[in-house]
Amino acid sequence: MARFQSNNGSQLSRRDWLRLSAAGVAGFSASGWLETLAADTANHPQRRHSCILLWMNGGPSQNDTFDLKPGHANGGPYKEIATAVPGIRISEHLPRLAKHMDKMVLVRSMSTKEGDHGRASFLMRTGYLPQGPIEYPSLGALVAKELGSDRSELPSFVSIGPYRFFNPAAYGAGFLGPTCAPLIVGENGVPTPGQQGDNNYEQALKVQDLDLPRDVSPRQAEARVQLLQGLEERFVMQHPGVAPLSHQTAYNRAVRLMRSAASRAFNLEEEPAALRDAYGRNQFGQGCLLARRLVELGVPFVEVTLGGLNGQVFGWDTHQENFNAVKDLSQVLDPAWSTLMEDLKVRGLLSSTLIVWMGEFGRTPKINPQRGRDHFPNAWSTVLAGGSIQGGRVVGRTSPDGMSVADRPVPVPDFLATICQSLGIDTMKMNVSNVGRPIRIVDKSAKPIQEILA
Amino acid sequence: MRFLWRGLSLCGILSVGLIAIPLRADAPPKPAGPPKAQAGAAKLDAQQLASQIDFYIAAAWGSKGVKPAPLADDAEYLRRVYLDLAGRIPRAMDVRDFLEDPNPSKRQELVERLLESPNYVNNFTNVWRALLLPQVNNQQVQFLIPSLEAWLHPRIKENVSYDKMVREILTAPVSANAQQMRRRSSNKRPDPTPTAFYQANELKPENLAASTSRLFLGVKLECAQCHNHPRANWTRKQFWEYAAFFSGIQPQGQGNMMAAPEMSERRALKIPGTETEVQARFLDGSEPNWESGTRTRAALASWVTAVDNPFFSRSAANRLWAHFFGVGLIEPVDEESEENPPSHPELLNELARQLIAHEFDLKYLIRAITSSQTYQRSSTVTDPSQNEPRLFSRMAVKGLTPEQLFDSLALATGYGEEGVPNPRVDTLGLNSPRAAFLAKFSSQEKRTEVQTSILQALALMNGQFVGDATSLERSRTLAAVADSPFFETPGRIEALFLATLSRKPSAEELAPLVKYVSEGGSKNDQKAALADVFWVLLNSAEFMLNH
Repeated sequence: MARFQSNNGSQLSRRDWLRLSAAGVAGFSASGWLETLAADTANHPQRRHSCILLWMNGGPSQNDTFDLKPGHANGGPYKEIATAVPGIRISEHLPRLAKHMDKMVLVRSMSTKEGDHGRASFLMRTGYLPQGPIEYPSLGALVAKELGSDRSELPSFVSIGPYRFFNPAAYGAGFLGPTCAPLIVGENGVPTPGQQGDNNYEQALKVQDLDLPRDVSPRQAEARVQLLQGLEERFVMQHPGVAPLSHQTAYNRAVRLMRSAASRAFNLEEEPAALRDAYGRNQFGQGCLLARRLVELGVPFVEVTLGGLNGQVFGWDTHQENFNAVKDLSQVLDPAWSTLMEDLKVRGLLSSTLIVWMGEFGRTPKINPQRGRDHFPNAWSTVLAGGSIQGGRVVGRTSPDGMSVADRPVPVPDFLATICQSLGIDTMKMNVSNVGRPIRIVDKSAKPIQEILA
Repeated sequence: MRFLWRGLSLCGILSVGLIAIPLRADAPPKPAGPPKAQAGAAKLDAQQLASQIDFYIAAAWGSKGVKPAPLADDAEYLRRVYLDLAGRIPRAMDVRDFLEDPNPSKRQELVERLLESPNYVNNFTNVWRALLLPQVNNQQVQFLIPSLEAWLHPRIKENVSYDKMVREILTAPVSANAQQMRRRSSNKRPDPTPTAFYQANELKPENLAASTSRLFLGVKLECAQCHNHPRANWTRKQFWEYAAFFSGIQPQGQGNMMAAPEMSERRALKIPGTETEVQARFLDGSEPNWESGTRTRAALASWVTAVDNPFFSRSAANRLWAHFFGVGLIEPVDEESEENPPSHPELLNELARQLIAHEFDLKYLIRAITSSQTYQRSSTVTDPSQNEPRLFSRMAVKGLTPEQLFDSLALATGYGEEGVPNPRVDTLGLNSPRAAFLAKFSSQEKRTEVQTSILQALALMNGQFVGDATSLERSRTLAAVADSPFFETPGRIEALFLATLSRKPSAEELAPLVKYVSEGGSKNDQKAALADVFWVLLNSAEFMLNH
């Protein structure tokens, strides 16, 4: 089997995969603890679905990834390549993904009206516009509520490497409350002491301060926590509100995480080096590996942000030098995502794990004078893969110049409803919002894209 | 400069004229008449304005059957006012002294003392810096923080009037050569200048337009950059006409932080993506009197800070209100619109009027707010009617900024020298404990809804800072309390409460803690058990919040 090296991530041959996966179910780690926990989860007949969101911060260019316009003035320099599905062609810089097209659905007709990073992020991530007093929860929090369990040791919503500055509320639990708030690791844009560039993802992807200090015994820690809980209870009762409750909840969840074996999910050094190479030795690639481990342990929603390289935080926001930037980003995205799908498949998890690829909007088909593309919500692409999605299809079509949707426009509620339905979530279910009004998980006008759902 | 209203349709609340009492057609009936001073006519001193605040707030309760929370006791008030003014909790001995002081005017005198303290200057330097440079995570901008703080610090110390400070920011020279940039980035003696504000906005007219409008006028224009604003009535053309005031500023090259020499009389620009060129116009549609030699940004500065610019004075009053109450009279503070009117319109107008009459002296407004009964309400909930934050019938629980949290922790644990570390030192040493701590606690949410994350909880529970502070070997405060021959166990616990929560423990709290310590905790060691109690206090919500 051919094997080619790319800048980030070497490809694993089929023999490598077989060697790495024992009995085709789980990989191996030094101690075997992960398999024990994971095997229980993976093989459980009642296993619920999980979702991995690959969030492309800044707005990824559709005409240079999944919806090329070769031969048109708007086309740009990239060539199209064939994929595993005849008739579907994508960017030459995503060759390994091309081989997985049978598992993927390209939605080429996303159409929204929001061209501002903050508003658009909020819309895509919650399904609603940021207006008025209602604090809409992000998709991760919604999925955590529906598919997560209060008893689980790991939080049900994990966010890897987010950049929240444009709209912090788009990354939160909103009115669902602090129990659905994400555990965040590797937050971009927050400098970690001593960290430079991409290679210090090792520290970034760990949960800091998880272990007790050396001079504190577990017994002493237990006694302290009990005393603290007493004090907290009284304060929260006399001061009802978000801030005190969030404090109490965070501490309770932190203690639970400390005590759990599942927190070892963050020890990526337990994975074979060859597999880590295949994902790509950078924050996004290793973040995808971490996502696989978390999903293996039953975490229902994990998002991994690809914001950029070398500490950049919205690298897809290519107002200038679009083509160099997108090529570099593609060379990180391609190995990470394709390895993720292979890895999940080998462990029998792909059919129960939905992968969503999206950003806040697309980019202008017309190339600007700085060889860049600007914000463009009119007609752009998202991708769904795995889970119960019937892959190997394209939904919708844009005009030859890419400026508008020519067939089957997909508004945000429809897209999110498709995600929910694939995960087994009832979209018409209501949650009570912070103003007392019940709010549906997805707007009631939403129609899931039936033709791609099983 | 007369303020023109042509084309301005912000909301029916603002009216034409200099100091008129605004009325909306559907406004609630005016209350019987304010006590003491005749609203709208006189210049009120701080006490009189405090009474006005209480009057307007209470007027809104009557029809809703709201029962306000009782006034805060001395301990609650002391801690709150220290955090709001000085940016840190009081020292244990300050707590003891204040609680024992029989002087009936001690609360006001406390405010005066704090307003003259160096901590006040540090705190508000941080507050303004955070407003002007919200995105301190940008590495390049971080290097310019010292120069901005060096510029803010003396002005806050001398209580320079707010309008003067804003004029200076709006007209600050931006072009710099490499040597000047290096001097501004210097940690030791940085050149004081507010130009970091310009760099943080990437020297782009559209970013400067959005930021200045939001910060100084309380108007959020951003959406109008690309199309007509969906909610307010700003058009795309108006946005760019306002941005044209900054059209003379250009970066030296692509993505360059250094500004090219400014074309200070340029006042037109092309709307990007179009061939339309627009001339600089104020938000109300009027134009400055373009005499020859008028520097464009100077003209903008005059308009923004004009005495009859209601946006400016209302926004200033509202921001200061939000600082003390956690929630503005207009909330969100930078989005006044027809859908987001002030909760107490007459009060906001009165605050704005008095601020103008006192020549934008922020300390005056601070005195008025902190003397009001509204500010002095307890934050404990005693009646369900107190749950609506915009009625101000109780004080809201507010989060601390990362700086306030660190400085309070440092004080409570005796970290560093006696007194509060100078915030200008070591802020950039990315490996310093303070910087590492601040990075983990960057605040992003609304202050009354601040969230604690799991990572923050872990950092406080297991992190080195609190670990050192609760170690008998390494912590000065703990050692002093544990080893002091003057205390018995109850006294020791009380000392820890005073150092952290700035109050004495209640009888119900004290009994189980005394028992725990006397029995030696988990290690059969009374001193270790005391360390546990200290750990608990430092990790409590009550410590981490401003209430």
